[in-house]
Amino acid sequence: MDFTNLDFDQLFGMKDDTNPLMMLVWILPIILFVFYGQRIQLYVTSSELKKGIKKLDSFREESRDELIEYLKKNMKLDVDPVKKIEQFLDYFTIMPVDMDPNGIVDKVQHTVRAREDYTREHLKSLSPQISDFELSKVQTLLEIASSLQMIYKIINHMFLTAKKQNNYPLILPLQMILPFIMEQAVAMKDAIPAFKSGQPVGDGIGPMVVGKMMLECPKEIVSFQTVLAKTDFEDRTLFLLKAEGPGSTVGRPADALDVITSDSKIDAIIMIDAALKMEGEDSASIARGFGAAIGGIGTERFSIEAIATSKKIPVFSIVVKQSVSEAITLMTKEIADTADDVSAQVYEMIQENTLQGQSVVIIGVGNTAGVPQ
Amino acid sequence: MFSKKKITLAYTVEKCSKCKMTKKRKFAEGDVLFSESSKCNSCGELTMIEKIFGETLE
Repeated sequence: MDFTNLDFDQLFGMKDDTNPLMMLVWILPIILFVFYGQRIQLYVTSSELKKGIKKLDSFREESRDELIEYLKKNMKLDVDPVKKIEQFLDYFTIMPVDMDPNGIVDKVQHTVRAREDYTREHLKSLSPQISDFELSKVQTLLEIASSLQMIYKIINHMFLTAKKQNNYPLILPLQMILPFIMEQAVAMKDAIPAFKSGQPVGDGIGPMVVGKMMLECPKEIVSFQTVLAKTDFEDRTLFLLKAEGPGSTVGRPADALDVITSDSKIDAIIMIDAALKMEGEDSASIARGFGAAIGGIGTERFSIEAIATSKKIPVFSIVVKQSVSEAITLMTKEIADTADDVSAQVYEMIQENTLQGQSVVIIGVGNTAGVPQ
Repeated sequence: MFSKKKITLAYTVEKCSKCKMTKKRKFAEGDVLFSESSKCNSCGELTMIEKIFGETLE
């Protein structure tokens, strides 16, 4: 066939002498896309989503296997933990009804703490002689595995529903959120080795700064898994507060603050925490601000704000910016290098905002895995 | 298709409280921040673990 003298006008034109067969070549796809466009898009999108879901499934499997392997290796178990772990992974939490929001924070706090206490006690029953340090590690690994399992189940459910109904619009939100979900899931999977080895994570920068300030001071447990140390700085009393390390916990800083403020008059609260950086912001950059810098489901922040408001205590914050992945995986060099700078800024903040003879509470917020005091 | 596998290596930085000398070495199991580590190469004083961090290689 000679392709050199093709008459494009005859092929794609709309004149009387146009070949009707050739007109079909471009009219047919238009008709096809009008009637079956969404279905074709559904197939194309489905193949992309399937890859993501397959990855989520492998993360779920991997985290579960790593947890079981860790338990078998590090805990003296009387029974095979597989069945018990399978049960734990499927545990769900039903959040309280919020139709009437009055008292919702206490209800949420109660539900979440009840779940934590239950998990802790039941893990302890697997190996009664387990240390608190190991127990906190296992509890965190369990949380990771159970979160990955939940993510996989929800995403897979949304995908299969859309496929079952042949409903393309239903698959669109899934396609939009999947990259964000994958980022979180990859971060969680990558966090496992750090928690297993008891290494500090990016979120631990607050406890790291306060832990170093506490080193030479006498310490006491002031609330569940939360340590308090008292020291002086330029005629001011400093109450240093952080979760009890080096176990993997965030402690209960609000309960601790309640104890401190009921015993002593506090003139300022300074919170040091990791904060999620915005796209375009430099990782490990330090920023100062006002208000309670603390993440989580919001119950701790609510309580801290309530205490500060009722006692008219100003709350200042210093945050170290980082990505989701950096916050829960092994601390990067850049974040670790900010510790001295953050510490210097805390002392500067104390000088700027308080007078001699006043008292300040300094809270190192975050997971204190691998960070003692 | 072209994504490279990233490997994160953990490091421990020890600092001597007397001569302020720092030493970076690979993280060893049992290393905990602020704990006493090895003897300082320059003055013989016990060093303290100052930092534990990861560096990513592509």
